[in-house]
Amino acid sequence: MSAVAAPAKKNYLTALREALDEEMGRNPDMVCEGEDIGILGGAFGVTEGLQAKYGKERVIDMPISEACIVGNAVGMALNGKTVMAEMQFIDFISCGFDQIVNMLATYYYRTAGEVNMPVVVRGPAGAYGGGALYHSQMNEAWFCNSPGLQVVCPSTPYDAKGLLKSAIRSGNPTIFFEIKELYRKREIEEVLPNEDYLVPLGKAAIRREGTDITLVSYGQNVYHCLAAAQELQGMGISAEVIDIRSLVPLDEQAIYESISKTSRVVVVNEAPMTCGFAGEIVARISQNAFKYLDAPPVRITRLDTPVPWVKPLELYVLPSLEKIVSAAVATVKY
Amino acid sequence: MSPNSGTATAVKAEAPPETDQSRRPQDALTKEDCLEILKQLYLARYFDVRLIKEKKRGHLRGTLYSSHNQEAILVGSLYGLQPNDWVSPIHRDMPAFFLKDAKFKWDDRERMGLSIEEVCAQVWGKSGSPGRARDNWSHIGSRAKHIIHSTSMLAGTIPTATGVAYADRLNRGDAVVVTLNGEGSTAQGIFHEAINFASIHKLPVITVIENNQWAYGTPNELEYALEDFARRADGYGIPGLIADGQDVFDVYDKMMWAVDYSRAGKGPVIIECKTFRAYGHGDHDDDRAAKYRPKPEVDEGRKRDPIAVCKQALIEKGFLTPQEANQWMAEGKNAAEVSNDDFPPEVVQYLDRGIEFAVASPVPEPEEAARWVFKENG
Repeated sequence: MSAVAAPAKKNYLTALREALDEEMGRNPDMVCEGEDIGILGGAFGVTEGLQAKYGKERVIDMPISEACIVGNAVGMALNGKTVMAEMQFIDFISCGFDQIVNMLATYYYRTAGEVNMPVVVRGPAGAYGGGALYHSQMNEAWFCNSPGLQVVCPSTPYDAKGLLKSAIRSGNPTIFFEIKELYRKREIEEVLPNEDYLVPLGKAAIRREGTDITLVSYGQNVYHCLAAAQELQGMGISAEVIDIRSLVPLDEQAIYESISKTSRVVVVNEAPMTCGFAGEIVARISQNAFKYLDAPPVRITRLDTPVPWVKPLELYVLPSLEKIVSAAVATVKY
Repeated sequence: MSPNSGTATAVKAEAPPETDQSRRPQDALTKEDCLEILKQLYLARYFDVRLIKEKKRGHLRGTLYSSHNQEAILVGSLYGLQPNDWVSPIHRDMPAFFLKDAKFKWDDRERMGLSIEEVCAQVWGKSGSPGRARDNWSHIGSRAKHIIHSTSMLAGTIPTATGVAYADRLNRGDAVVVTLNGEGSTAQGIFHEAINFASIHKLPVITVIENNQWAYGTPNELEYALEDFARRADGYGIPGLIADGQDVFDVYDKMMWAVDYSRAGKGPVIIECKTFRAYGHGDHDDDRAAKYRPKPEVDEGRKRDPIAVCKQALIEKGFLTPQEANQWMAEGKNAAEVSNDDFPPEVVQYLDRGIEFAVASPVPEPEEAARWVFKENG
């Protein structure tokens, strides 16, 4: 038995909490606000301990007023603060939509660069947990369609911490999609560096290398893709898995480089198909990397339905290992 | 009260000072102040009528949202503020941008308000605008000058005001934030969310409601169900004052009471200023407004011109003789009826300087349209 204990692995939620804690510690002008984030420590516990450490003035328990949470963040940023604004569930962000797309996203533009908005709006997102219509959404496409917003979605604890820190320090408004099904997922826990680190926005990660087909995704669908790649390997198909990590800005080059090698691509996201981000990726591939393709690019997305509650119904509408494998096989055979 | 409670406590709003005529803030104003206030009313009016004329000559694009007949609210709200206080105007408040911190120093570029040159450059859509003409009409502001940038989202800027006030408190500042809004905007959900939040934390946010009785084409009785809109404040446990929006000194009195109250950390205040919209919602609406608003109602709403009301008050205060009061006769006249001779020459010259600058200022290069979406230079 070693005298020094092995460094502890940390989960995705702890990584987020550490990012907030460290950023609050290094920046006295940073403020956190959201529903139940102080006394309770957040519905999921992401902000646990922050109010005790940084005080009620800097860690604000907000009334159930999503629009005011965002609007107040805009005002604080106008007056020199850096703000983390929590949505208790990303589904509720629609209540603050006007403040995000018309006030927050446009501030830098309409003031010709006088006033930037260091505001990160973050919250738990995603399906597969039986959350039903209002606790399962992935509505990232709304914000990708609103110029001025960065849109980020980490899939690992390391990225969750490094991307959140990058977003907070970027000086730009960011919508930060956390995957609540990954918050406490044991299988993805990992040892995080002791020292301060950042993960750059707009830089994709290759999660698995391959030569026959490229699977592009983000969030928890990355794990569906990795499982699919494992299964495809048994069928003699070598799949490369790309985790884009941030949607805006998007690392297009990483996708094109992979396709230049594999000539085939399946793009997976759990948002609905129509006007979803998978469609945007496929459109860019078609326009900019057509010459590499040996088969039409394919989207695997949620059906164009809300997310239903009961398990068989929920899984029916969502991307799955089986759907990805089957699309990949068809694409390779094309 | 739980030990976890924030700053909120159940409060009964402090009684408004309507009945206290013994210590009106206006009585402390000097003759010099009062004459400056009258001059600012002329300035606001002249800005309005001049732009209407410029547009009729084809010099301007976009819609004009006239502040005619509502100038006393702007001047009375802003005159007694400290330079570091913040203001948040909306579309009908264009003169507020240059009236802020303008007392006796209109031409001082260092004062905490926008210059007439910047405001005119914005109206003319030129690069000399503080927003480089990226958004239209009144949609400008300045962090440096403590003016919250206006948008089309109406009450959507009230939470900006709460955030500014909250940050100022964190910085141990003592600024108050004055938001100007039409009564129409108060039916938006964000109005409630923001005032509620300001009440909880006793933020120094003073919400001035310019109740001009019409939200575009919708009258008061289809906007809210109260006799006096100011009573909306009761639901938040905060003072709701009523001011005569035609009387600059009454607006000033209510505002100074609110400023003292808010700056002392007692919380937000709503001031309803009763007034009447002189023209249509915008100049595009003037013809239709003549149909949806009966002429007797318009005549009644406009019969107490704020310039005339101010002059009468100055005569009563002994600061103006009736003869002096008749020197400039802008009151009661529409843009088409009024001439430069109806205004003090320094008012006309001031705006001439602004327009001269605006006309000479270049139109922004087209490529600028793609800039400043995201932070530049890291």
